Amino acid sequence: MFSFQTIFDNLPVLIGAARYTLLISVLGCAQGLLVGAVVCAGALSRRVWLRRAAALYVSFFRGVPLLIQLLVAFYLLPVIGINVPALVAAVLTVGLCAAAYLSEVLRGALNAIPRGQAEAAAAIGMAPRDLWLRILLPQALKIGLPAIINELILLVKASSLVTVVGIVEITRMSQSIASATYRPLEIYLAAAFLYLAINLVIAQAGRLLERRLAY
Amino acid sequence: MPDLLHRYGPDLLTGFGMTLFTWALGTLLGFALGFAIELLRRFGPKRLAWPIRAYVEFIRGTPFLVQLFVLYYGGPLIGLRLDALPAGVLGLTIYGSAYFTEILRAGFDAVPKGQIEAARAMGFTDGVIVRRIMVPVMMVSALPALVNFAIILTKETVILSMITVPEIMFQTQTMMSETFAFVEPILILALFFWGFVEVISRLGRRLERRFTHYLLERS
Amino acid sequence: MTFQTSLKSALFGLSALTLAATGALADQLADIKAAGKIVAATEMHYAPFDMLENGEYVGFDRDLFDEIAKELGVTPEYQDLPWTSILPGLEVKKFDFVLAPVTMTAERAERYAFTLPISDATVAFVQRKGGPLSTPEDAKGKTVGTQKGTAQEIQLQAFSDKIGGITIKGYGTPDEAYADLMTGRLDAVAGSAPLLNYLAKTRPADFAVVNPPFGKPTYFAFVARKGEGDTLIAAINEAIKKIEDDGRMKALQEKWFGAATELPQEMPQL
Repeated sequence: MFSFQTIFDNLPVLIGAARYTLLISVLGCAQGLLVGAVVCAGALSRRVWLRRAAALYVSFFRGVPLLIQLLVAFYLLPVIGINVPALVAAVLTVGLCAAAYLSEVLRGALNAIPRGQAEAAAAIGMAPRDLWLRILLPQALKIGLPAIINELILLVKASSLVTVVGIVEITRMSQSIASATYRPLEIYLAAAFLYLAINLVIAQAGRLLERRLAY
Repeated sequence: MPDLLHRYGPDLLTGFGMTLFTWALGTLLGFALGFAIELLRRFGPKRLAWPIRAYVEFIRGTPFLVQLFVLYYGGPLIGLRLDALPAGVLGLTIYGSAYFTEILRAGFDAVPKGQIEAARAMGFTDGVIVRRIMVPVMMVSALPALVNFAIILTKETVILSMITVPEIMFQTQTMMSETFAFVEPILILALFFWGFVEVISRLGRRLERRFTHYLLERS
Repeated sequence: MTFQTSLKSALFGLSALTLAATGALADQLADIKAAGKIVAATEMHYAPFDMLENGEYVGFDRDLFDEIAKELGVTPEYQDLPWTSILPGLEVKKFDFVLAPVTMTAERAERYAFTLPISDATVAFVQRKGGPLSTPEDAKGKTVGTQKGTAQEIQLQAFSDKIGGITIKGYGTPDEAYADLMTGRLDAVAGSAPLLNYLAKTRPADFAVVNPPFGKPTYFAFVARKGEGDTLIAAINEAIKKIEDDGRMKALQEKWFGAATELPQEMPQL
């Protein structure tokens, strides 16, 4: 009853679709880390309006489901004259959404750094920029690494939502094949192993990085 | 919109309730299982390390949609026949446990070793060290990530619609296909989740203040 | 929170207004002819109407629309979208036309313009090979799945009232209902006859259709924007009639459904 043949027959097409999963994940992750660090800095700023703006950002991008954000970006923004290609809309939206989650992870990690360090740095006259780039961020990245890896893995899987703007990645392709062959179990398992392969690479890279950063 | 709300109001309310219920149960059980797994990894026999890692990587590495599909539609092939709701909650629990375990691992790793050594030197038992030192300190760094993941789980609950659990996505999809209205269902989903997540993150902030209270007082 | 909320509703309200304002004026057929192409979107998940084979779009709809586009004198372009984004995409003109087979109902016709019927959509049952139903009436007391929110679900409900009780379970897509039929949680699945026939033809060892169909006659049609799309719909309807009259429709029906059926050449009473 279980048909391995179906899996072998459709694997090449699934792997082709995986290119989109990878593309959106990699670009979305890079954007998410960058924007996330900025939002996190805003959340910890002394200026009230920056803190408010960061809180609003996190509230919106974490609160409204990514699926809906994508629908809004692609189908409602054209109404007010903003019309971007599907792939651009997908990457930007996924990245902005990931940034909200990543900024929170970074904030948690910064909380775990003993306050004495910042005080000591201030006492020896270190500039705030150096304090951030040399002391706080490297440690935050280290402490937050497993949680960041968690988020990245979630990002790879969340990239399946970009199908709503018409991009055919792994999940969408597997649904289509399942529907034409009437063998969803086989195809979904095949898709699962593709995701697993991608995510194992991410997890392994995370562990190697963790070991390198350990002191 | 008023017509639609009148017609679908009761269904939508059921949907909200079902989403809240499955989320709360899935998150609590997932956290409990994740915590247990992390304790087992940290204090249990060494030979468990590898199976635990395989479990975490497998569950984390594959989409919830696929896990749930296999559990519900594939389970009966090997004699595991669950109703939709138990299957949904079990699925969420398993999925959540893998992520929670990883977050807790990072949190415990961030606890300064000196504190644990000092406690051990003073003759505290493992149980006391975990409860009184490791958990409170771990929570400081792990709480935002835990809240993050609890929020992500709110959105994973919509996948339960695939196995016919009548949660909010199930209800709005029905509304959409019966009437062909789409702005209204999208708006309802956006507002519901935004409100829901806002409540969770406020609760998270409150918890966070509680755990970081002693840090803030110094500055 | 209140500010964010009002901003959002303003955005949605604005979109509804703009859509309403631009809807009535334009002549879509002229635009399409000027561009030389028509972009049609469908969910390529609906065998034998729309499906992907080795990554390529095939099916009854594809073949039929290739012919329609030929009649219109334009090149067709096909887009695969999940159903969630097909109606929003149609509204903001990401494409010209919905090629998904949509069951014609009065409520849906209020929001969108339908073409002439392109296929029979009458409801039947499918069961596991050797299952418990020999006539549709045997469904009494059984558990039957169907795609929720569909016209087929409403007919199944009516049939259940008539024969005295069927336990109905709603699914997001027919695929999940078929999967649950295989697990044994369902005794049968109700759906449109052309879909079920294709399912039974593709997996004859697992599935069998219960004949005859039990619902009242209903039809699938394609969908365009109201107002602006009227000229387009009129031209497509002419093309459909021509394709039916010269025998091409019959050939397509035999190719994809295994048998030919007559379709009404005017709008059915909804």
